[in-house]
Amino acid sequence: MNLVLLEKLTSLYGVSGDEKAVREFIKSELPADCEIKTDNIGNLIVFKKGEKTPKNKTALFAHMDEVGFIITSITEEGLLKFTSVGGITPSAVFGRRVVFKNGTAGVIASKAVHMVKGDEKDKQPPLDELTIDIGVSTKEEAEKLVSLGDNCYFENDFFLFGDNKLHAKALDDRIGCMVMLEMLKSEQEYDLTCVFTVQEEVGLRGAGCAVYTADPDFAVVIESTTACDISGSDDENKVCCLGEGAVVSFMDRSTIYDKELYNLAFETAKEIGVKCQTKTKVAGGNDSGAIHKAMGGIRTTAISVPTRYLHTASCVVDTEDIKAVEKLVKAMYKKLCEL
Amino acid sequence: MEINKVLEKLCCAVGVSGSEEGASEVACELLKEYADNASVDKFGNVTAFIGDKNNGKKTLLLEAHIDEIGFVVTYIDDKGFIKTAECGGTDRRLYAAQTVTIHSKHPVRGVISTLPPHVSSDSKSAMKKEDIVIDTGYNKETLEKLVSLGDRITIDGKFSVLSGTRVSGKAVDDRGGVAAVLYALSLLKDKEADYNIAVLFASQEETGSRGATIGAYNSEADYCLATDVSFAYTPGAKKEKCGIMGKGAMIGISPVLSEEVTEKLKAVASDKNIPVQFEVMGGETGTDADEISVIKSGIKTGLISIPLKYMHTPVEVVDTEDIKAVGKLMYKFAVGGAL
Repeated sequence: MNLVLLEKLTSLYGVSGDEKAVREFIKSELPADCEIKTDNIGNLIVFKKGEKTPKNKTALFAHMDEVGFIITSITEEGLLKFTSVGGITPSAVFGRRVVFKNGTAGVIASKAVHMVKGDEKDKQPPLDELTIDIGVSTKEEAEKLVSLGDNCYFENDFFLFGDNKLHAKALDDRIGCMVMLEMLKSEQEYDLTCVFTVQEEVGLRGAGCAVYTADPDFAVVIESTTACDISGSDDENKVCCLGEGAVVSFMDRSTIYDKELYNLAFETAKEIGVKCQTKTKVAGGNDSGAIHKAMGGIRTTAISVPTRYLHTASCVVDTEDIKAVEKLVKAMYKKLCEL
Repeated sequence: MEINKVLEKLCCAVGVSGSEEGASEVACELLKEYADNASVDKFGNVTAFIGDKNNGKKTLLLEAHIDEIGFVVTYIDDKGFIKTAECGGTDRRLYAAQTVTIHSKHPVRGVISTLPPHVSSDSKSAMKKEDIVIDTGYNKETLEKLVSLGDRITIDGKFSVLSGTRVSGKAVDDRGGVAAVLYALSLLKDKEADYNIAVLFASQEETGSRGATIGAYNSEADYCLATDVSFAYTPGAKKEKCGIMGKGAMIGISPVLSEEVTEKLKAVASDKNIPVQFEVMGGETGTDADEISVIKSGIKTGLISIPLKYMHTPVEVVDTEDIKAVGKLMYKFAVGGAL
């Protein structure tokens, strides 16, 4: 686990459809012996020669994009109307600071709470009732700083806290990017293919295209998945728990996972002494949904880091779980190469 | 005086009602530049006196409140999550997944816990105050060693510079007022004022103007200019209840304020070309001026407000030119010929 690299990765701005900064950073980090391809949609497919060529070609996948915002119109008062790119709950948007790539800073809010009356008080204002304030008074002033279609991002606040907990934006899925980069930087027993995908957050749109170039027999998706092990949440609704290790699920809303690979993941985890858990709810989805259906079917598994407050500026993970995911991914990769 | 620097120092300091120490110390240090006798009293008020009690001049009190809204730790549950109560009126539309700091002996960071959308089907209701639970990443046993019941909590609000002279941060309510008083004192420095000047940065305004009641009594003032923030217009708010950001100091007109002081404020503004706007209220103003004006046999009190957007959020927005206008108005009031 490379926290310095992870901090850099989470600080990059890469809303779905605008992943260039992340892609260029990853390319700049790759060692010279990697073959790099960027496909038409923007996926980065990286191949590294190992000591041996495996019987089965296995590819690892992680997505580069993150949730964020896109500017849809500008009011006469110079306030920016916006919509979310990817799923963000309105309550996690109100009262947040955002930044644009040109450095323009803004805040998301609405009329003061003192002016909210009656029934309105219990209501969470939807996104279309919120605006971004960049500190100007007119449309003309705003247009000098921001254009329609510009993206803005949650400000990153990367810090360690509690017992091994880490807080940052975009841990979904820069952790996966970090895990793959670290593998590509070290010597490998088997040839290694890593795919950094685009547009996961807007409908798993990049990964399917990437499969076409990577052409694997097996796919392992490295992801973040919702943990709801918080106060007020009963056992079945926890989904998965921080500190309980890597998450391998049998089914989510995008995929019914390959049973043999599911079992293999748990056996492998046991063998190497790494904590592994499954999800107690059929919830969420990831690039597996696109990958397992691509090119006549790819056998796929996903190994995830349990993450609290996913799709907010405040993703929280346990660094011990990141280590568990890293170890399990490496061990599974070898297993699949030899299967 | 560099207004941005002073305001940043003040806003980044911590002083939730009843535990103003951090903010009071910072304000006291800044005040010492203009008054050697600046000190913090037993109630968290910052006070100073500039002048000579035997010179026959009347005393003019310049007042702003030093405290900010926040929460207080009331309980630690079995899973190690913190339950809270409000200190002052917070905005529950923005609670979800905000990062917070618990101001214990050593600061402890955390996140306001929130159920993800697939577990909580209700995204249309604002979080209830009693549902606030803070995730510090510690278990109960460890947390109890670090955090005590009664410790104060703030939502993190980084100070950021927006376009032009607008800035954003937490606690601009009412550190903006404190900055305005300091700005007035910087203009008054080495000048002969018509009054002895007393300064009060009052504690516990947000919980009912308690500090001002004590501080104003001890100040022995004859007149008072109180400054607090008021509403700057944002869409959805009532225009007649708001000032306009960037259009200057808001002179309060109300039956509870001194007509004599208010008329002089108007005359000074007009005479010295200071940008002002008027805020007319039918009764109490909701500021410390309400309490100060009825201290002893009555202190003749005027109210000057700073237009502020998104009051009681961690992303309050202010135009520093408006803060300067308030400071300048106080300064010209003090040297413009005594009442």
